[in-house]
Amino acid sequence: MNDINLWALGGVGLVAGLLGSMLGVGGGILIVPILTLAFHLPIQVAIGSSLVAIVANACTASGIYTKVRLTNIKLGLILETATIPGAIIGGFAAVFIAPSILSALFGLVLIYVAYTMVTRRHFISVDNQPNDHSVAPNNTSDGLSSSLADSYYDRSLDKVVDYKVNRTATGLGTSFFAGFLSSLLGVGGGIINVPVMHLLMGVPMKAAIATSTFIIALTAATGAFIYQYYGNIHPFIIAPLVIGIVIGSRIGVELTQRTRGALLRRIFGAFLFLVAILMFLKTANVI
Amino acid sequence: MENTKWDEGRLKNWASLTFRVGIAISLALVVIGFIILIYISGFKDIQPLVRLEEIPAAIVISIGILLLLLIPMAQVILSTVFFSMSRNRLFIGISVAVLCLSAVSLVMALT
Repeated sequence: MNDINLWALGGVGLVAGLLGSMLGVGGGILIVPILTLAFHLPIQVAIGSSLVAIVANACTASGIYTKVRLTNIKLGLILETATIPGAIIGGFAAVFIAPSILSALFGLVLIYVAYTMVTRRHFISVDNQPNDHSVAPNNTSDGLSSSLADSYYDRSLDKVVDYKVNRTATGLGTSFFAGFLSSLLGVGGGIINVPVMHLLMGVPMKAAIATSTFIIALTAATGAFIYQYYGNIHPFIIAPLVIGIVIGSRIGVELTQRTRGALLRRIFGAFLFLVAILMFLKTANVI
Repeated sequence: MENTKWDEGRLKNWASLTFRVGIAISLALVVIGFIILIYISGFKDIQPLVRLEEIPAAIVISIGILLLLLIPMAQVILSTVFFSMSRNRLFIGISVAVLCLSAVSLVMALT
């Protein structure tokens, strides 16, 4: 591996945390391509580092979300029974899949995230929440629905939002895939969890984001342990990344209130398209 | 029958505390390790692979990283204790299952 500049790595963490919290995307979507394209680190090392940084970010956010009672811990635990096996399998798969294929898969995920940003189909953006109280439980409730029901106080609506959870089996299936993708590519998995919880399971957006963050913390930690097993966790790469991402996400939360989210999302979406192209070029050994 | 004294609101308070204390301790260790690394290596570019004189920094950072990765597992242990206190059998089973699954990866990482 090449020599690395610790301050530049800290800067990557800072920007990933900043944009991640402002745009509602996990930092991994930025960390992995930058570490592979700019720092020329092996993609497995980049993914392992990204997973640890994601744990730091998710734990910081979960501390806040659980304090304001947004996290549905019971739902989080149920979905973790699926995300964790997915994360273990994804971690093993990443070792056996050729780096060029991993780069190509990452490029495809980047294009999906960029598309959702540019075309306003941004399921995971905090500042685009529909009226949470409009989410009504449907008739497909299963037996778990009543025990997973939860409520939280919504400051913007000045009311308590009650909700039930539907289609738990569907949620478990997609959660397995989210865990697999998270561990395989070093992304949070929120790009799958949040829309599934909100659109399919009837969880209000704010609670879906908080619960997804709770799930991501353990899922990414599980994946990171597998990468550690294969020697892809390097403390000197991770330290500046973790420090940067925690500081960046704190600043991002503050800046979110003052910036024009829609414009920023489109610019970032276009940037991700460019990064996706670079990842494909790397796959083809052009760069 | 569930014991309502151990309700989910109380669990969330403890969960929040676990996350915040955990991240503070682990981040402090990572920062201390990083400062030791800068003290040893200066401000120049470094090799990701640890050299002999950098071992103290690597140890402190690695402990910080390990603690960080253990925070979500501590969270699941906390949930198991709470559901046990509230005699919620379904969620005792679910949280124990989650704990066992994540323990598999932890054991692998430590071996």
